[in-house]
Amino acid sequence: MASAYLTHQQKVMRLYKKSLRHLESWCIFRDKYRFYACMLRARFDENKNEKDMVKATMLLKAGEEEFWANQHPQPYIFPDSPGGTSYERYECYKVPEWLLDHWHPSEKAMYPDYFSKREQWKKLRMQSWDKEVAQLEAETPAGGPRTEALPPARKEGDLPPLWWQYVTRPRERPT
Amino acid sequence: MAARVLQQCVRSLARPSLGLCPVNLALRAAVAPAVTVHRPFSFAADSRRTRWLGQSRISSVEVWCRQYGDLPPLTLETIKDRVMYVLKLYDKINPEKIQATSHFMKDLGLDSLDQVEIIMAMEDEFGFEIPDAEAEKLMTPEEIVQYIADKKDVYE
Repeated sequence: MASAYLTHQQKVMRLYKKSLRHLESWCIFRDKYRFYACMLRARFDENKNEKDMVKATMLLKAGEEEFWANQHPQPYIFPDSPGGTSYERYECYKVPEWLLDHWHPSEKAMYPDYFSKREQWKKLRMQSWDKEVAQLEAETPAGGPRTEALPPARKEGDLPPLWWQYVTRPRERPT
Repeated sequence: MAARVLQQCVRSLARPSLGLCPVNLALRAAVAPAVTVHRPFSFAADSRRTRWLGQSRISSVEVWCRQYGDLPPLTLETIKDRVMYVLKLYDKINPEKIQATSHFMKDLGLDSLDQVEIIMAMEDEFGFEIPDAEAEKLMTPEEIVQYIADKKDVYE
């Protein structure tokens, strides 16, 4: 997202999605849910060509209030999403990659190919670090960055800034 | 005395399977003849367990490893197949016209609310939530496959 403000379309999409999810929690049988989901979609569709933004915003506000009044007390949350059962369950197993440097040489000898490649990657990181920092300093506006998104690499043959922590990020399910 | 009862149980299990599955001969020889009462409990239990394993599987290899419950591992092909299958089931999409690179809004003429429904179907299919900020950017099946592969660490 470019800025911190949501467009009207984005707000409507979010309202639609969360109202469908709560509807799914209320109507557990799939055919009943399908019926009420189609009814809800028809209600969204009859106002979708509204050109007057004031009226559209009033409709959105009414929709949000209706959602709040009819929400499910315990909606279905996916296990991996915030509030779910498996959220951050494997976070403790996500070990940072610098621990690999602290392995004993006998342990490192068990994976010689990997560790030799790792030395080359680390050299590459050393070389590109200054350029990454220079690019970030040039592109960040004064007063701090506005979003968490990092800019891409601008020049040919250059690596994107802070690529190392993305490339060596832990797996979603370690072990 | 308990061991004698166990031996009788093992023998009764052994009888129907003696011809059917190739259990290793040492085990069969150990179990079949009438043995003394002082057979250790654990050995009888082991022979019974391997006998059941031998009957249930087709191959003759005895597998002692544990089997945990988990989904089969994802590959890029299976993700793509599942995404295309779900998209073909959607009633606003023509199943013949959909390609991996067809844009939902430009090529297939879908609405933004339709795209929300498609993303919700993907979430239901793969079992994890796609946040709104990233969901509104996924406009082709190819992007969806790449996003899921990125999240699930498939051939990263």
